[in-house]
Amino acid sequence: MANQTTTAASFENQPTWAGGRSPFNVSYGKLMMWIFLLSDAFTFSSLLVQYGTQRFSNVVTAITTKWPDPASIFNHFPGMHGFHLPLLFVSVMTFILILSSVTMVLAVEAGHRNSKKEVAKFMIYTILGGLAFLSCQAWEWYTFIHEGARLDGNTFGITKQGYDHLHSVSFGSHFEWEVGDRTFGPVPFAALFFIVTGFHGFHVFSGVVINVVVYIMTVRGVFERRGHYEMIEKAGLYWHFVDLVWVFVFTFFYLI
Amino acid sequence: MEFYNKPGDYDAINYIPHTESHGTKELWKTFWLLLGITLFDFMIYFVMPASGFRNFIFIFFGLVKAYFIVGAFMHLKHEKMTLALIILVPTIFICGLIIGLLYEGSALEVMKSM
Repeated sequence: MANQTTTAASFENQPTWAGGRSPFNVSYGKLMMWIFLLSDAFTFSSLLVQYGTQRFSNVVTAITTKWPDPASIFNHFPGMHGFHLPLLFVSVMTFILILSSVTMVLAVEAGHRNSKKEVAKFMIYTILGGLAFLSCQAWEWYTFIHEGARLDGNTFGITKQGYDHLHSVSFGSHFEWEVGDRTFGPVPFAALFFIVTGFHGFHVFSGVVINVVVYIMTVRGVFERRGHYEMIEKAGLYWHFVDLVWVFVFTFFYLI
Repeated sequence: MEFYNKPGDYDAINYIPHTESHGTKELWKTFWLLLGITLFDFMIYFVMPASGFRNFIFIFFGLVKAYFIVGAFMHLKHEKMTLALIILVPTIFICGLIIGLLYEGSALEVMKSM
């Protein structure tokens, strides 16, 4: 300990960039989490670049009018079979993720007050939110695959007739495809959906695992003994990043 | 946000993190904003017919949501300017790349039909 104090004191006279203290006034762990998130942002950006380029180069093919309209595919809701409910289920998923982001940030805030009980409570809410989101995504994938989505093909192309049929149906009413409504569409459509939402889902899964680990550490009093709850902040940064990616997946895959 | 460190701001060995709570008011405000924007998107989707302008609205509000998540939830608004810049500058270049490659995608489309 005496040795550590002298070492720390010797840093006092060093310039900021000489390694004595962080130039960004954050701890090593938090800074590295930010750098990791930046690299992860590049990963998702490259996937979105690929998606955007494919989509813009497949607007009109020889047999379909356009890239599949998300409203024509993601219009299901659990327990409401046969009804045209575009965007509803995915909005519920978005709501779940935003809500779990808030409980995460409340856990961070409780950590600032060194309130072990509250941190544990909000971490449990966050984990439950993450699991709920993953369940929703599993249902979404199941439905999509059940409808015929495959990595190497696309049967979701819509003909002009199908497009008019779809847009004559109002929200919440009964809807069935008719012969001639659908045809083959641009091949990369389903593959890109699976890759991007799969990558995001895997991030959510990792986030839940991290949150469970951090929750167990909280309950066992590791942070209490350490004197601070900065680990919650690091897990929180990752969790909010997952929410951030979802904002863009929601925009580019469902809204547009 | 400040550009330069003061001596004693951060000590690599005897590190004690900043543990002041800013309260939950801003966090809940951000939550209602994010929820409101999502509901607004949901409404616009059904009220407006699909168009380039509608897509612009969706992307614009997507970026607004990103600002609030990164700024308030991830606390980047309250970090040092230098840290915020090394995070944000590369992502702005990425946005440029995405826009550029969308134009390239359209050009591919035209070439395929030639």
